Amino acid sequence: MYLPNQYRFSCSAKINSGTRALENLPMELDALNATRPLIIAGENSPRRGYVKKVISALKDSGMTLGVCDDIPDDPDPSLIGELVNLYRHRDHDSIVAVGAGPVVDVAKIVNIAISHDGGASLRQLEGGARIMNPLGPFILVPTAGATGYETSRYAGVRDMMFSSPFLMPDLVVIDPRMVPAVESGQMIDSAMTALTHAVEAYTSAAKNPIADVYGYAAIGFVMKHLAPVVSRPADREGRCALVNAACMAGCIISDDTRGMAHALGETVSAMFGIARGISMGIMLPYTVAYRAVNGEAFIAELLLPVAGFYEYGRTTPSLRASVAVTMMIDLVRELNETADGVMPRTLEEAGVPEYMLQDIAETAVSHGLSRFGRDDYLTVARQAWEGSPAMDR
Amino acid sequence: MSTYREVKPGDKPFKRAYVAVMLWFVGRAIQSAARVDRAVRAEFDALPEGFTFCLGVEPRGPFMVVGKNRKGKAKYLGWNLQGREIDLSMRIKNLEAAILLFTFQESDALSACRNRIIVDGDIPAACAMMRVIDIVEVYLLPKIIARMAIKRYPAWPFRRKYLGRVRIYIRSVLGY
Repeated sequence: MYLPNQYRFSCSAKINSGTRALENLPMELDALNATRPLIIAGENSPRRGYVKKVISALKDSGMTLGVCDDIPDDPDPSLIGELVNLYRHRDHDSIVAVGAGPVVDVAKIVNIAISHDGGASLRQLEGGARIMNPLGPFILVPTAGATGYETSRYAGVRDMMFSSPFLMPDLVVIDPRMVPAVESGQMIDSAMTALTHAVEAYTSAAKNPIADVYGYAAIGFVMKHLAPVVSRPADREGRCALVNAACMAGCIISDDTRGMAHALGETVSAMFGIARGISMGIMLPYTVAYRAVNGEAFIAELLLPVAGFYEYGRTTPSLRASVAVTMMIDLVRELNETADGVMPRTLEEAGVPEYMLQDIAETAVSHGLSRFGRDDYLTVARQAWEGSPAMDR
Repeated sequence: MSTYREVKPGDKPFKRAYVAVMLWFVGRAIQSAARVDRAVRAEFDALPEGFTFCLGVEPRGPFMVVGKNRKGKAKYLGWNLQGREIDLSMRIKNLEAAILLFTFQESDALSACRNRIIVDGDIPAACAMMRVIDIVEVYLLPKIIARMAIKRYPAWPFRRKYLGRVRIYIRSVLGY
């Protein structure tokens, strides 16, 4: 366990997970002095019955709820103004976001707007560290497809981006009923996003002992449950573990922990329309291998959450990093076989042309926050394209 | 424009009624068991005079209150918390958790471990009341169900278990 010379950790999100966790909502809302919550959910929620389950959990609470359950996947910023007006005119006092991805971003931004009543406009609060005060009560009920951004300190709709520790939810309720089996592509996408963020936080120079605990659990859950859940989607415990992993990974994402795999994955996703988690998943083992070869000390420790105590204990310290990389490559290979090619093993299999690697590296380096430069990014991109990690050379 | 609707989630009258009946009967059974069973009596003897204990469901009940009167005897004091000073309060966080507990799908210990119960008061007294409830459950329930509801099913002699069960049932129904 590594104790840095100086560190700071804060996570305001209380996680309430497990069977019938939703039924705690009335009490938790009461604890937040909230009596008239506004439920914000995505347009797919009525089909999946998410909102119905939340309303059912609030039976017997005596509360009156407001429900907006048609937030599109690509919301227009004007929608935020409408929701803010609804919130104010209907006297709501808290927000319950039900879903994953854009709907949660919308709910977070609505919360910023209503909490800065009469003060600064949303545009003035964009960027980092401009939201200096706690926001209104905000509860998150993540559903299948949660990537971890939901619990993070970030929110963004189109070109509006916000970052503040106050954007983390006050409460996250993870209930197995809200995590139904979804198509394997969506499952892999969200779990790989969580794994990438957890691995990068666990091995970054900005790591700290408390974030390590979150990262350890998140990596362990994804490594243990992702492949079984993809091959047997009825695995309820596994699905719930993956959403837990995503939420924990979200709690430890920060500007200092988003590294090479994140930057390359985001770039490949934006340039070639590949799902973000899938492209991060392809890049992850190669970036980890490259960093290990370049002498990053924490990579060897990654074997502990990736493989568990037994494998960690019986592996020679000098081989731990390469065993961790091999196990992550094995996971990608297994997913590729189980999910009928939804998860490509290399950038070549993902349809990325070789001549574009240069552009990918140049774009990624401008997004990346790690100590590596353009040549390093190009090397890793080439290794991910060929499918040969740095350690094999 | 986003569509908006207001919803009143409604009630769960049947579940609430079931839990209310169970709490009523358990309350009266505690009172009876304190007169019939030595172990329960000893637990109440160790509690201070005037001690009151409530078990119920958040946020709107039902509740049951059991107290120790001036004569040192356990007494079921009804369901109303109004105007009472409660020394030990054990509140189940929601009706669904109470249903799990009172349909014996979850033991009281497991329910506490799963963060479904809030205890407000003296912890030794709470442990004593949990032991009392466990004993009462052994009396009230057939072995096959009681084993799911408590941590360890005790090996009691025939006389204590069956005679005690009959006496506690009669006293609980008649309320003395």
